Amino acid sequence: MTEGDYRHVYVVIEHIDGKLLPVSLEMLGEARRLFDDFNKRYSAKEKVVAIVLGHNIQHLPKTLIEHGADSVVIVDRPELNALINKIHTKVICQICLDIETAAKIEPAYSLEFKKPRYMFFAADGIGRHLSSTVLAELDSGLASDVNQLIISDLDISHPIKTAGKKIIYKKTLEMYRVDFSGFLWTTILCLDNLNENLSVREYSPQSCNIIPGAFAPIQPDPQRDGTIINFEPKIDENDLKIKVLSQKFIESEIDFDNYKTVVGFGRGIQNAPEKNIKLVEEFAKHLNAQVGISLPISKNVFSASPNVSSTYMIPGRVIGTSGRKISPMLYIAVGISGAMQHIAGMEDSQFIISINEDENAPIKDVSDIFLKGKMEDVLPQLMAELKNQQIMMQVK
Amino acid sequence: MTLLNLAVVVKLEPDLSAGSISYNPDGTLNRSKTKNTLGPHSKIAAQAAFYAKVKYGAKISVGTMSGHAANNALQIAMETCDADVLHLYNDSIFAGADTIGTAEVLKNGINKMDGKMDIVFSGYRATDGETGQVGPQLAWKLGFTFLGNVISYDIDLEKRTIIAKRLITLRGVPEIIQEIEAPLPVFIAIDPSYKYHFNNITLRLAAEKYKTEAHERAKNYKEYIQTFNCEELGADKTLVGLIGSPTIVYDVQRVPKGKAIRNAKVLDGSNPDHIRQVVTAMKEALSAMVIK
Repeated sequence: MTEGDYRHVYVVIEHIDGKLLPVSLEMLGEARRLFDDFNKRYSAKEKVVAIVLGHNIQHLPKTLIEHGADSVVIVDRPELNALINKIHTKVICQICLDIETAAKIEPAYSLEFKKPRYMFFAADGIGRHLSSTVLAELDSGLASDVNQLIISDLDISHPIKTAGKKIIYKKTLEMYRVDFSGFLWTTILCLDNLNENLSVREYSPQSCNIIPGAFAPIQPDPQRDGTIINFEPKIDENDLKIKVLSQKFIESEIDFDNYKTVVGFGRGIQNAPEKNIKLVEEFAKHLNAQVGISLPISKNVFSASPNVSSTYMIPGRVIGTSGRKISPMLYIAVGISGAMQHIAGMEDSQFIISINEDENAPIKDVSDIFLKGKMEDVLPQLMAELKNQQIMMQVK
Repeated sequence: MTLLNLAVVVKLEPDLSAGSISYNPDGTLNRSKTKNTLGPHSKIAAQAAFYAKVKYGAKISVGTMSGHAANNALQIAMETCDADVLHLYNDSIFAGADTIGTAEVLKNGINKMDGKMDIVFSGYRATDGETGQVGPQLAWKLGFTFLGNVISYDIDLEKRTIIAKRLITLRGVPEIIQEIEAPLPVFIAIDPSYKYHFNNITLRLAAEKYKTEAHERAKNYKEYIQTFNCEELGADKTLVGLIGSPTIVYDVQRVPKGKAIRNAKVLDGSNPDHIRQVVTAMKEALSAMVIK
């Protein structure tokens, strides 16, 4: 491997009909922060490269440069108007492997360039699939649902990768993701196989898809300079037989936006799931509130009658990184311990009350009021008191 | 009429339903005490294949890569989609694979199935790994058009095309329903919201017939299982398992407790005065909105 083989971070930008999705600028912001530090530490001049595909999108590169991109590779073609995984995957891979494009990004290493060093996608309905297929084609590793990134030199000893020997892997991207329980944080690395007894293989780009909302964009700077590269892709005629017939927006299954109050419940219902869900339902009615759930509830962890489970134990009600991000006037967390991924979905609520038996539950740290007690005991009392004070709250 | 040739790739996963799941005191999953079963999204993939069997006529093969016997999963999958063939890809060399290493095994498995596939189905993600990467990566390795989060589909047998509706969920914009047409073969990762409907009595009768047949056949599911190791699959040993996996899990740690971002007032749920305080605070929180 030479210094010029793998360079830069390529960020795959998402937009709908020319309107950037917030996650695009968030990814660019994180790429910028990482690379300002990277270039300083390694005395390097590697670039943040944004890739943007679509039609009638000539206005986008300027915004992307203002938000941290050094180069923007733009492909503006009518065939790319619709979101078709196969066509977009092929075009992105062409860009990643194209030496002429690499030369425009950074002339110094254009002869050696093989592939990007790192690559970022969004962990959403577009980026999840696109990152998977692009990395299958580029034959490298991908971590999903990442919410923290660190670049460092790591001393690794691994039975397969290094045959048990200690080897320093330079400029390694540590990709952190929360597991499905919400309590474990796993670090994923994409490492070359350096084991001569097996097969030596280099894996680049080190790639991940990033949870929307995990990172902040940088302050846009209208004075920032950047290179805009118009890329001409080769589009396979056969792939044009795949056609998008229609594309329309629909309202979400569960409306959180038009409610002042949201009541969320979690594993605390476990002693009597059916009964406790009905209790939460009744409590929410008293407050004219929408009902949300924590992620484990959507996975049929508890059994309830078909009517209750099909109404409440559904992905559409999940609040958190795997579901919706909400910010009502009042959020009441009932029997929710407060896994990181749930907190990310509700911490922007204006006032937060949590009801929990366990005073050490992390939810306390994001609450304005922590009401200690079992939901079975506390909710009926709150309802009686609400009635008492005759509060009538109306939907926004 | 040419039957459709369908495959379903499924996964044995921890059973997260009541009575089967076990948590460690720290809230993490106790894998040794949790039972395994057919993953819920794999089951929906099998249901989606069953729809095509009833509506168009199809031969269905089910494949899984598993270190365990996966009997339970294969039996449920067979009963769900009235499968004709069951494949188990089992070799110690497959262990520890990341998504690329897993997709490579499944690709070889599907290529071992009889004839060319028209559609391969998978769930949208596993409930334990939750990456959702194996489906699209397998599709890419097979060279099939990938259709993710499919909520409904129909096939034109004459033209050998599919018209599918997909749900695209993004942060910051409403959900999108995309209707897409593609020539077969395709790979479908089915959306969790998928449910099949048979809108006439003939199809409903056919569905009942197949279900009865599936129920009977699944009793003897073991007779249908074909097991393949790496060599029998003809898979490249350097592309599967740990050797074929670019990524490793470097570290697992407890999610660090963040700094308290709000200074919670702790109240006691058994104290009526505290209950009154909470209700007053609710009222204030909501009236603040009105003033705004």
